[in-house]
Parts: sequence; C-alpha cells; structure tokens
Amino acid sequence: MSPETGETFQLDVRRLEPPEPLERILDTLADMPRDARLRVVHRREPFPLYDLLRRLGYQWHTEGADEYFEILIRS
Amino acid sequence: MLNTAGLSLDQAPPIRVPFAFFLAAPFFVLLAGVLLLWQGEAVLLTRWSPSALALTHLIALGFLTQVMLGALFQMLPVLIGARVPGATWIASLVQGCLILGTLALVAGLQWGGTVRLSLGAGALALGLTLFMGAAGVALARGRGAPRTLQAMRLALFGLLMTLLLGVLLVAGLLGVPIGGLTAWVDLHLGWALLGWVGMLILGVGYQVVPMFHVTPAYPAWLARSAAWLILSGLLIATAFTLMGWSGAAVWGFGPAVGVLAVFAVVTLDRQRRRVRPRIDVTLLHWWSAMLSALLAALVWLFGGRPELIGVLVLIGVGLGLPSGMLFKIMPFLSWFHLQHRQVAARRFDVRLPHMQAFIPERSARVQFGLHLGALSALTSAAIWPDKTWSAGLMALGALMLMGAAALLSRLQFDCYGRYLEIGRRL
Repeated sequence: MSPETGETFQLDVRRLEPPEPLERILDTLADMPRDARLRVVHRREPFPLYDLLRRLGYQWHTEGADEYFEILIRS
Repeated sequence: MLNTAGLSLDQAPPIRVPFAFFLAAPFFVLLAGVLLLWQGEAVLLTRWSPSALALTHLIALGFLTQVMLGALFQMLPVLIGARVPGATWIASLVQGCLILGTLALVAGLQWGGTVRLSLGAGALALGLTLFMGAAGVALARGRGAPRTLQAMRLALFGLLMTLLLGVLLVAGLLGVPIGGLTAWVDLHLGWALLGWVGMLILGVGYQVVPMFHVTPAYPAWLARSAAWLILSGLLIATAFTLMGWSGAAVWGFGPAVGVLAVFAVVTLDRQRRRVRPRIDVTLLHWWSAMLSALLAALVWLFGGRPELIGVLVLIGVGLGLPSGMLFKIMPFLSWFHLQHRQVAARRFDVRLPHMQAFIPERSARVQFGLHLGALSALTSAAIWPDKTWSAGLMALGALMLMGAAALLSRLQFDCYGRYLEIGRRL
C-alpha cells in the first residue's frame, strides 16, 4: 500500500504525562484506516513505542532532536 | 530510512529483575531503623561511631544503590535506547553480591572483624564491578539523550572511584597503614554523594523531571556544564588529597556542591512551571529532597555539624528521592510490561488498569507523611544531639522511618501482586 494514498492524521502528545502519549498513539492507530498515516509530535524519542509498533506490524520514521521529535507511522 | 532497531522488550530484562532490587531495598531501611533505636545517641553524636558508619552504608548501599541499580537495569533501555547485555543473570549476580556485601560490611563496621570486612568489601567490589561492566557496555552503545548519557557515564566513574576508595578504607581498617585516614574518608564520601549519587540524579533528572511532570527542559547551559564541573571538582579534591593537602580538598568539593545546589534550584523552578498544576506524591518527594539538598549545602557552607548534613543527604535525598521515583517507576513498568504482553498475545479484550491504579495515591501520601516526620525528627535530633529530649526525638524518628519503609514495602508488594494478577489473564 502506498503511503501517499491515505490521509495523514496528526497527534501532538508534547503536553501529556507518561504513559498517556503511548496510550493515545495506540488508540489513534487502532481507530484510523489502514492506508492512513499518523504524524506524532513528541517531546522525546519514544523508544518504548517502537517495539510495540513492530509487533503490531507498523513501520515508522523518526526525525528531530532535543525537545521536538516527529514520528511518522504507517502500516 | 525506516527505523526498525528500536527497543525490543524480548531482550530487555523481565520485570522481576528491577522489581527484585526495588522489593529488597526497604528491608535495609528497617534494619537501619532497628540500629537507630538501639544505638541512636552514638549515631548522631559523631559520624565516626561504628553505628554511624554502619547506618550510612545500610541506607547508601542497601537502599539507595539497590534502587538505583535496579532502575538502571530497566530504565537504560527506556531512557537512552540502550540495552544492558545479559541483564537477567548479571542482575541476579549483582544483587546477590550487593546484599551479601552490604550486610557483611555493615556488620564489620559495627562489630569489627577481618572476615566480615573482607567479605563485605570483596562481595561489593565483585558486584559493583560486574554492574559497571554491564552498564558501561550499554552506555557506550546508547544513542539517545546525550546529556543524560554523559552524566550517567560520569556517574559510573564516580561509582568506580567510590568503590576504590572504599576498598582502600577497608584495608586501612584491617591494619594496612594509610596516612591521613580522615581525608580519605572525606574523599570517599565526596565521590559517593557528589560523583555517584549526585551525578546520577542529574542524569536521571534531566529526563524524568520534564517527562513525568511535563515541565520545560533543563537549560542547556546547566546540562552542558554541570556534570563536567562536578567531575573537575572531585578530581581537584582527589589531587589535593593525594598530595597530602587535605585542607585544600574543599576547593574541589565546593564547586561540586555548588553545581548540585544550582541543579536543585533549577529543578524546583522547572517543577513550578509544569504544565499541569496537579501535585502528586512523586513531586512532594522531589520537593522535600531538593530542599534537603539545599539545606545540606548551606550547612556544609557554614561549617555546620556533619551529622546533620548526613541526615539531610541520606534520609532527605537518599531515602526520599528514590521512594518518590518508585511510586512512578513501579506502576509505569507494571503498566508498560502488561501493555507489551497484551500486544504480544493480542488479548485486547482484557482491560488494563490505569497506571495510577497500581499504587494508590492516598496510601503513597501517607508514606510521604511518615518519611517527612522521620526526616524532621532526625534532623532536629542531629541539630541538638545533647538535649534531654533528643533521645526521645531520635526514637520517634527511627519508628517513623521504619513505618515509612514498611508502608513503602507493602505498597510495592501490592503493586507487584496487581501486575501478576492481571498478567495471568493475558
């Protein structure tokens, strides 16, 4: 499935306490169509998220540094 | 480039690895309470009494180092994306050595004896070296959070120096002639409190304060220079001590104490500017620990009683801060491991409780109250050790200390029990 076809969902979790960012990301992924992408704005690199994404069959790409990270997730 | 090299929980240690450290730690505080009840006056009259040395190590090694090592085995992957190799078996070995070494060393400091002291120093040297090796590999591989990585690497060096000086001091107690023993004790203390504990609080604080309480990040000027300033100060103090100018070592300790005091002020300021105005028990513990650290720095600056500094640093910071962090870390790990198991088993029908359900806030606040009571009573007893009422205050402090440790332990076991119960359904 081409990542360009689907809609891109946005999620900013920078003002949430752990583990809410992880919960919100998983909830949003569960609710959105399979061809959609999710762009997450996070204040730290979410290492604990990656293994869950892998297990759930998602691919991701992270960019950013210091206080601003963008994680693009798609199936 | 798609990133697939993230943390794998299959490779991270099972939850029982850090929990074994966390669950064991309060028992050493109970022992410390018994020692205080039994030898209270001697402890606060002079820091050179056998009981004061024994008590210091019960808390510093049995509680503080125990919690810190357990947390590092689990949190290194979460904070910096670096795994500790062979964590499961290394952790058990490290913990076995730490418990045996602490008990033997404490018994040796209290009652003397070549076998106790050698066994204590030997077991601690083995366990801590193993830990430093394993954590060193993880820290060398770590890639995230450069300031935290830097502080943690330097903290590990601080632990190494503390250990080397500790072994040297045990050799001194066993009869090896060492000139200027008190200067070496001060250096051992300096590396332990500033180089190991202080540096680790910096490294962990840079991450967990902004993360758990959603505060602004620490300012770059502080994060860039703090760890190096502390290291430089301690190296200067070491050089002066080696050259026999122990009086000048204070010129090294001063900057290190100053940096940590600045860190404490900045931490309180960050927390004041948190996004959500809610106050939780972890925040209360942070406040009380940072204020204790600032008070200790002031007492040190004005040449106050070392026993008072000891109470503020060991009880106020060394007991309080890890307790506060455990109230976050244990529920977080329980929730996090269950979340992974749920995804792995695809059992989305099982509802996971909120993180807050693992340790009730109300009970945790009672624990904080007991801790604060113990801290206040023991601080007062350390300020006025020779008043008629100071023995009673000391006994009250010891009992509250034991109460706080017992409640902490109870809440920890409840948390683990809840984890196991939900885990069985997944």
